[in-house]
Amino acid sequence: MPVPEVTDSFAGSVNRITLGATKDDGGTRSSTVTIGGAKNVVYGGLVEDAGETPVVAMDVLDSKPEDWPEALVEPYKDVLDKPGDWAKKCVEEFGADLICVKFDGIHPDKGDKGADHAVKVTEEVLKAVGVPLVLWGCGNNEKDNEVMPKVSGAAKGEKCLIGIVEEDNYKSLTAIALADGHFLITAAPLDINIAKQVNILVSDMGFPLERIVTFQSTGALGYGIEYAYSIQERQRLAALSGDKMMAMPVICDVGYESWRAKEAKMEDAPGWGAVADRGPMWETATATCLLQAGADIIRMRHPRAVATVKRFISKVWKNKG
Amino acid sequence: MRCYLQQKEFGLGKKTQDEHGKKCLVRFEPSGLKIEVPFGTVLLEAAHKAGIYLSSICGGDGYCGKCKVIIDSGQFHSRPTTLLTQDEMREDVVLACQTTVLSDTTVTVPKSHSLETSQILVGSDAHRFSQLPAAVRAGLFEFDAQVRKVYVEMSPPTVQDHTADHERLYLAIREQVEASTMQTGFRILQKIPAVLQNSGYKVTATIGRRGECTELIEIEEGDHRAKNYAVVVDLGTTTVAAHLVYLTDATTVDTEATYNSQINFGEDYIRRIIYAEENNAFDEMQNRLVNDINSLIVTLASRKRIDLQDITTVVCAGNTAMVHFLLNLDPTRIRREPYIASASFVPPIRAAEVGIQINKRGLLYCLPSVAAYIGSDIVAGVLTTRIFTKRGISLFADIGTNGEVVLGNKDWLVCASSSAGPAFEGSGVKHGMRAGAGAIEKLIIGEDGTVEYRTIGQTYPAGICGSGLLDTLAALFTCGIIDRAGRFKTDGRFKITEGDEGMQFPLVAGDDSHQEIVITQADINNLVRSKAGVFAAIRVLMESTQTKLSDIEAIYLAGGFGNFLNVRKAVTIGMLPDVPIEKIHFVGNTSIAGAKTVLLSQKAMNTAEEIAKSMTYFDLMSHTGYMDEFVKASFLPHTDLSLFPSVA
Repeated sequence: MPVPEVTDSFAGSVNRITLGATKDDGGTRSSTVTIGGAKNVVYGGLVEDAGETPVVAMDVLDSKPEDWPEALVEPYKDVLDKPGDWAKKCVEEFGADLICVKFDGIHPDKGDKGADHAVKVTEEVLKAVGVPLVLWGCGNNEKDNEVMPKVSGAAKGEKCLIGIVEEDNYKSLTAIALADGHFLITAAPLDINIAKQVNILVSDMGFPLERIVTFQSTGALGYGIEYAYSIQERQRLAALSGDKMMAMPVICDVGYESWRAKEAKMEDAPGWGAVADRGPMWETATATCLLQAGADIIRMRHPRAVATVKRFISKVWKNKG
Repeated sequence: MRCYLQQKEFGLGKKTQDEHGKKCLVRFEPSGLKIEVPFGTVLLEAAHKAGIYLSSICGGDGYCGKCKVIIDSGQFHSRPTTLLTQDEMREDVVLACQTTVLSDTTVTVPKSHSLETSQILVGSDAHRFSQLPAAVRAGLFEFDAQVRKVYVEMSPPTVQDHTADHERLYLAIREQVEASTMQTGFRILQKIPAVLQNSGYKVTATIGRRGECTELIEIEEGDHRAKNYAVVVDLGTTTVAAHLVYLTDATTVDTEATYNSQINFGEDYIRRIIYAEENNAFDEMQNRLVNDINSLIVTLASRKRIDLQDITTVVCAGNTAMVHFLLNLDPTRIRREPYIASASFVPPIRAAEVGIQINKRGLLYCLPSVAAYIGSDIVAGVLTTRIFTKRGISLFADIGTNGEVVLGNKDWLVCASSSAGPAFEGSGVKHGMRAGAGAIEKLIIGEDGTVEYRTIGQTYPAGICGSGLLDTLAALFTCGIIDRAGRFKTDGRFKITEGDEGMQFPLVAGDDSHQEIVITQADINNLVRSKAGVFAAIRVLMESTQTKLSDIEAIYLAGGFGNFLNVRKAVTIGMLPDVPIEKIHFVGNTSIAGAKTVLLSQKAMNTAEEIAKSMTYFDLMSHTGYMDEFVKASFLPHTDLSLFPSVA
């Protein structure tokens, strides 16, 4: 008896986008990254429907992090206050597909550094590495609206992925990203409807839907991962059903969220195994889970976790050309 | 001045014996009303006692900031609040609910509180729907009023015909009226022999339906059929409206409305239930409502020169809580799990028993309700719009403090109540007001941002009522002054100003004697939430019954919006589904129309009971899909733009 055909096929697909501009394209990147394009759910359907291979963006902070656990500081201890070198290390030693510059240091509570600093960091990282960049604000609306347009300008023409914009704060950054030719991250607090609303608002401003990546918020293993998983799955299914407002690739913030988990960093817990292993394991488990829900870019931190996740990706998407 | 008061505050802990017993005379300007209250009485309470209306959404909890008054003279103690500006504090503006009086005090009540009771809108809306209810007119229900006066001429008893007076009267009545089971009260029974004999056996019998039974309510000598009136009442949370009906020819002779004076205890009924519970004020709640009804009845009767004795019937419809307050039935479980009413079907009772002053043997009928949050006003709406008789599916939405929605046809009816909030009634909106004189009821914003409007009574605008708010929200959206999330755009195209409560759009410029009228970001958020609640309820009912948009043949929108409701705007903002506009009908106050139908036909009462029994109630709070639908609907017009092809 033949095995019945159970493959679903869908009318829609995830938008395929290419981040980074090479010299030919008016930028200075030595390579570009293409994501999206899936015409089915992960593991579903034909190999050629799987779309582009997901990528890892490694976090580089603009300012030396004060609260990182020892296990995470260790691989970067020489470069934590040198964003350029840090980025270089991530790309050359750890195989980062993209660098995500996270501007924590501009936050009023975390250094309150100004636009000059942020611009300098941006230029430094652009110079140090050839991969495309993700430029991610600090989360304080007022400060982001003041600084991120300058950051955008400093990377003009590089086709970076810049963000984040939210329902109640999207106008300034959307306008500048449009002007500077970047891609935009639209964010929502684990709410599929609000995610769609932000996309509509941004597109009402004339921003092309094909230049948007969505961030649905991320929950780490044990800390709401099921919400993140189900929202991302819903977004993928909406994209496949032909909803243009939900057809964007997805980015996840696995690194930051995983390392917030006490299981990842608590030292005095003999029954839990070596603390040096737990963090990378937590990050790996969170990342692989969300990849299966349909994440296209995973932001990560620990090199060992990155290595494992990249191996996972290469196996799952191995038949891809 | 405030410093002095702060010192005063200090001394409060050491209240002397004298102060405890001291009385303070509080005088309210500009009305000049005075009240003597004990030392330390809360000003809001003093105002209530003096019969002064002060707007108070939170019911005295100190967080709505609506009960602002100005202290002209006297000593008082005010608890600190963040709801007053520095300027206001300098001018001795206080929150009445946070202020206690410590001496004789004179208080000025700002104009914004005043209710202008005599000018509440019943006007053309009332007239449009005031005549013989369509259902009766259309012959759906035969004319068979709940209380009738029957003139009977009997042949006096003889040796051959020795039927007793009482039975003789029954027989004569039954010749005219179908009344297989009859009963007579003891006092009337005692009256019968004398009245019959004095009148030569020509009497008027007043008979009232009490379910299957017909009661002989009154007996009078001679023919008094021409003197039979009834009052139908809509017990609104905000407004109590009454129509006077001449039962002989079933015409509405006059209408009147007043504010529900329970409003002092909270602008929504949940708050009033809490207040009544905490202060054991159930009697007071009843008294206030009954007083409102009585004053309406007296106004109507005196205007038409009618003797109160000739009013034999009162029929009420209203939300479940209001009916409970009226009858002094325990309303507390309406707000608590499992959210039940004390009674859904109320038998006819003597109106005098609840204190309604009509003919002392006159009857009070209350329409049946469905559930704690679906009251008899909604049953009345279904009865009025006749959606229960139609093959096609209709949608009925009554927008008040709650947005109740009914979907169905002759075979089934489902209903739900969304806590839409009173935004479209003008509450919770900075310059919102009820549909009364001076309310902007129609508004247009031009492409350049110029505002044109029309007010009720063509006076200088005092605020914006429901239909005006609907117009305003739609115009802000279509002009691009706000984005789809309802937030002001800051692209400089329109004049957005910064007010006390954040960004706002000026609608009417103020001058020396008139306040500026604006719409604030908070107002817009409230309006969007209200409309989202209603639309989400509609979606839940549609999805639960697998009703497609194309299946809906008619939409009836009810509520006290104002007269010039443009139903198109309700679609523009995404409150009602995007159906061809000719399918949407604004039907005004269907609560009172339904009550009138029941007044005029016992069969309609039976039908109302059947409707109430057959409606399936969906509890949205426990419905898993409701929040999802609510968030989707909290967007202009909706997150799923394909649902609104005519707008998006």
